Amino acid sequence: MDFMIRAATPEDCKDISRMIMELAVYENMPDQVKISHEVLEQDGFCKNPFFHCLVAEVAEQYRTTEGYTVIGYALFFYTYSTWKGRSVYMEDLYVMPEFRGEFPGKGVGTALMSKVAQVCKEQQCVRLQFSVLNWNTPSLDFYKAKGAQDLTDSEGWHVLRFDGEALDKLAQMAPKN
Amino acid sequence: MANFILRKAEPRDVPDILRLIKELAKFEEMEEQVVLTETELLQDGFGEQPFYHCIMAEVPEDRRSSDGHTVVGFAMYYFTYDPWIGKMLYLEDFYVMKEYRGMAVHTQYIHSTAVKSRCSGMHFIVAEWNKPSIDFYKRRGASDLSHEEGWRLFEIDKEYLLKMSAK
Repeated sequence: MDFMIRAATPEDCKDISRMIMELAVYENMPDQVKISHEVLEQDGFCKNPFFHCLVAEVAEQYRTTEGYTVIGYALFFYTYSTWKGRSVYMEDLYVMPEFRGEFPGKGVGTALMSKVAQVCKEQQCVRLQFSVLNWNTPSLDFYKAKGAQDLTDSEGWHVLRFDGEALDKLAQMAPKN
Repeated sequence: MANFILRKAEPRDVPDILRLIKELAKFEEMEEQVVLTETELLQDGFGEQPFYHCIMAEVPEDRRSSDGHTVVGFAMYYFTYDPWIGKMLYLEDFYVMKEYRGMAVHTQYIHSTAVKSRCSGMHFIVAEWNKPSIDFYKRRGASDLSHEEGWRLFEIDKEYLLKMSAK
């Protein structure tokens, strides 16, 4: 099957938005998607973009029944380690189910991730980090086969978050200077 | 006079930032893991596209430390992205020198970064053995997403990145 990996353009945001929703459905959290493709366009293509995106596109003859040729994406951004410097965090990696691997390690997912790894190299980043849900066995297997280490397991790291009311409360207590 | 002020980091703060990073790493018994240099910190924090932002805590001259420092703490953060809710703020590190703790500097950092960002949320990671920190955050309303939703943090290091990018 012919496909290519390329940097996303603002015009791709409708497809990226569609696939974000598909991934949310897979993770059993579809009602949590609050932003539109317009917000993605704004945030991903401004002067200091808040994220970067690669898309996977198939040749015309492989388009889906609904007519899509953009069939996968990887969304990532730069982070910083106080010990080692520049890093990349891959927020999402998704390939539409009908385009996933007959040949593990040679398909669209691997190609997307390899391109992200290339970006890491070009930007002198020391590591690539991402999170996976503990029940997502296909993904856990996919990443472990590529040499990923589970840091929650080996080092005990937990992901914490402040949002909504808790974040507002916090902000209200900020010093005035 | 206030006990301390919080202000945005400037290029001249880079030596203090690195000093405090190393102090925190020493506390975590990982000092030799800090390979970052002042040159990198300067490039990465104060170039055209900053990779991080920093808030410094500074005390007045008459409260300088025994080895002469007035910059006594820092908080480092950057912006991340949640495809479901948009812009987020990620608090990477914060630290206050031991002798200046208890003035609520830690609390002020969090408040300060939360208010300046206008983001939908603030994310960070904490080691599960670090009970004082976990309690500190939970008391202020943070949720433990590893616990509640099953998220596990993964990493691919340089060796495997090179292998993958060679394909």
